Amino acid sequence: MPEIRLEDVRFAYPGGVDVYPEPGLTLALGDGVTALVGENGAGKTTLTKLLIGLLRPRAGSVTVQGEDVAKATVAAMARIVGYSFQNPDDQLFERTVRAEVSFGPRVLRKPVAEVERGVAWALEACGLKGREEVHPHDLGLSERKWVAIASALAGEPQVVVLDEPTLGQDYPSRERLRSLVAQLADMGRTVLVVTHDMDFVGEACSSTVVLSEGAVRYAGPTAAAFADRDLVEEAGIEPPHVTSLARRLGLGDAVSERAFLAALGR
Amino acid sequence: MAGGLSLYAEGTSLLHRAHPLTKGVLTLSAIALAFIAPSLWWVVGILVVLLALVTAAGVLRRFFAVALAILLPITLLLLAVQGFANPLNRTVVFALGPIVYYREGLAFAALAALRIACLVSATFLFSFTTRPADIAEALMQRGLSPRMGYVVQSALQIIPQTLEMAGRIQDAQRARGLETQGSLPRRARAYLPLMLPLVLSSLVATQERAMALEVRGFGLKVKRIARYEFFDSTLQRALRWALALAVPGAIVARVAGWR
Amino acid sequence: MEVTRPALVFDRVGYAYQEAPREAVSDISLTIAEGEWVGVTGPTNAGKSTLCLLAMGLAPHFFGGRLKGGVTVLGKDSRQVSVIERSAEVGLLFQNPFTQVSGARERVDDEVAFGPECHGVARPEVEARVAEAMERVGIAHLAARHPMDLSGGQLQRLALAGLLAMRPAVLLLDEPTSQLDPAGAAAIFDVLAGLHQRGTTILMVEHRLERLCELCPRVVAMAAGRVIADGPPDEVFNREAVQERVGIPVFTRLARDGALPRPWPVRVGDAATAFAKSIA
Repeated sequence: MPEIRLEDVRFAYPGGVDVYPEPGLTLALGDGVTALVGENGAGKTTLTKLLIGLLRPRAGSVTVQGEDVAKATVAAMARIVGYSFQNPDDQLFERTVRAEVSFGPRVLRKPVAEVERGVAWALEACGLKGREEVHPHDLGLSERKWVAIASALAGEPQVVVLDEPTLGQDYPSRERLRSLVAQLADMGRTVLVVTHDMDFVGEACSSTVVLSEGAVRYAGPTAAAFADRDLVEEAGIEPPHVTSLARRLGLGDAVSERAFLAALGR
Repeated sequence: MAGGLSLYAEGTSLLHRAHPLTKGVLTLSAIALAFIAPSLWWVVGILVVLLALVTAAGVLRRFFAVALAILLPITLLLLAVQGFANPLNRTVVFALGPIVYYREGLAFAALAALRIACLVSATFLFSFTTRPADIAEALMQRGLSPRMGYVVQSALQIIPQTLEMAGRIQDAQRARGLETQGSLPRRARAYLPLMLPLVLSSLVATQERAMALEVRGFGLKVKRIARYEFFDSTLQRALRWALALAVPGAIVARVAGWR
Repeated sequence: MEVTRPALVFDRVGYAYQEAPREAVSDISLTIAEGEWVGVTGPTNAGKSTLCLLAMGLAPHFFGGRLKGGVTVLGKDSRQVSVIERSAEVGLLFQNPFTQVSGARERVDDEVAFGPECHGVARPEVEARVAEAMERVGIAHLAARHPMDLSGGQLQRLALAGLLAMRPAVLLLDEPTSQLDPAGAAAIFDVLAGLHQRGTTILMVEHRLERLCELCPRVVAMAAGRVIADGPPDEVFNREAVQERVGIPVFTRLARDGALPRPWPVRVGDAATAFAKSIA
């Protein structure tokens, strides 16, 4: 049952060309973790903004959880979609981590008990336990990113969009992120991760959508996303490191470390 | 509009090529004279000269679009209000229902409107024919400190960049459910979530910029080498002096009874 | 025998930012010879950026703070030389492409000229340097464009060109590609490889360990403000302390989890060889 559905979507920025050329963007995403990859300028960020209603399509329809985005306000969409932006400093303004993380659900007027529950879960999942009373600006960039992610999760949204969550993160952080999105998938949520980090895509995202010049070039299991080398090159992406190694050894197209070791027989 | 804020319109007219200082003096003296000149016909004369220059610069159409948008409402408002409310009103000209319009008020309004038209024309003439970067360069060649020159030149790019940052912040907060339009209390609640990240991010960006400038040597006390030469001539110099002196000259004339 | 003077020397350097309770870096001793390409890596808050700021002199001149020990760059003590004086020989490229552009120029080539102009370089020389720098980074075709019309990757190359126009002997880079897409990153690394070939000394902070190992003959691993390893990447990433506190390239982790014998490979080529051997 696709949670996110785009049909023949057309969009152009004022004074600009069509981001999605004829016949428009068509895509359907179900629950689980999907990576959205492609060169800068391919239309990834535009797509995520269309999902939450920050941008309205010129033609076609965008439906999230059955809601027609064109008919809903951004605030209404915020109940369904938790969106974590690339630059955490574009949203942090509260004096404590807790206040920041609870901002979303408070603004959406959720009942106190729900807010508490959502915030507690988000803080735990994002490794911020014990840092609740710290001023976000006293945290390093990596932790501020986690605060932004926690803020998007605190409202317990059905759909989660993460824009470049691994930027500036070290390995332990990326591992925590992998386990977080896996947890969300287990909970039946739909997670969309916009990223350039192909290793993360291979490790954490079961599906991948490759966007190139506004068109969907591939949408399916990540395991097969890098098989077409011409596609990979045209789309301006590169396969995960583990895949490069697997190919050199004639072990097929493993996209995750586990798959590689399995192919090796270890 | 690519790049920063600017009204500059490409062109090769005499006015485009003239020294920025000449154009600056022309603009300021035209405005000053328009406000000093005592009667309608003098101001009309100045306006005609300015419009002739606008035409010569090849920016007439662009000028009309922008100028009319500004001048039409002001002129109508002035005529409408001064026409019936001016304290010196005595001679009736016509009546619109209960509202009576007098000659004195209308004349006053016309003069004021024409002066404003001169102000707008002179300013746009300058903006359409002068690259912002050239203004700073011309001033720096005459001794303006490089730091001040940098402030002028960078404002035009940094303002749109800041607006873009503000837009991103607004998007991020709206995506969390914050309402930014609507009733006053609603917009008041949105104030801190929108302003604080903007102020903080701007401060961080400013610090980063300052570091990047130092790393390139900005601030070294060296003799400034002109980046390019402007076209200047004896005629332009004479013109600048003439215009500059015309202003105090006109003031003296007014005091002496010029009507 | 000619003794080349080292490009950078850190002698028991400690530095704390103003009002900071702890030092950002402690007891750092490093010598970098001219022409070396050294990669610096470590977890967040390891002091990597601070190292770059110290080499440039922004610490302590721009940030204030307390400096212990000596930082000598190209024979001159950083305490005695201001940042703008250094700018003739040392360049620093930051992470964020957008804040490194002067914002005062409307053309890419004028932007590249900004640095030399600040140094009072004569006009013909400026033009030569601008052409050379734009050629080196591959943006000559963008010469007439407005800087604000450029993409992030192009802007970062523009910023690099701006530094190269000064013909620095030492280039410091603080995570130069972290905000770029893979294509943008690759372009920057290509330029750096070219500079390395021409003898520029490069100190580069980089998170992507796989890249670091491919490009840098020497890696300095930092954690909690101290240097915990310094040497060829094969050596550094086989150290327990580094593996635990800093991380390891994907290939190394695969070798470890695949029960390959030590020392574990750090590059794809070596990993392929090692695994092929183990399969056979």
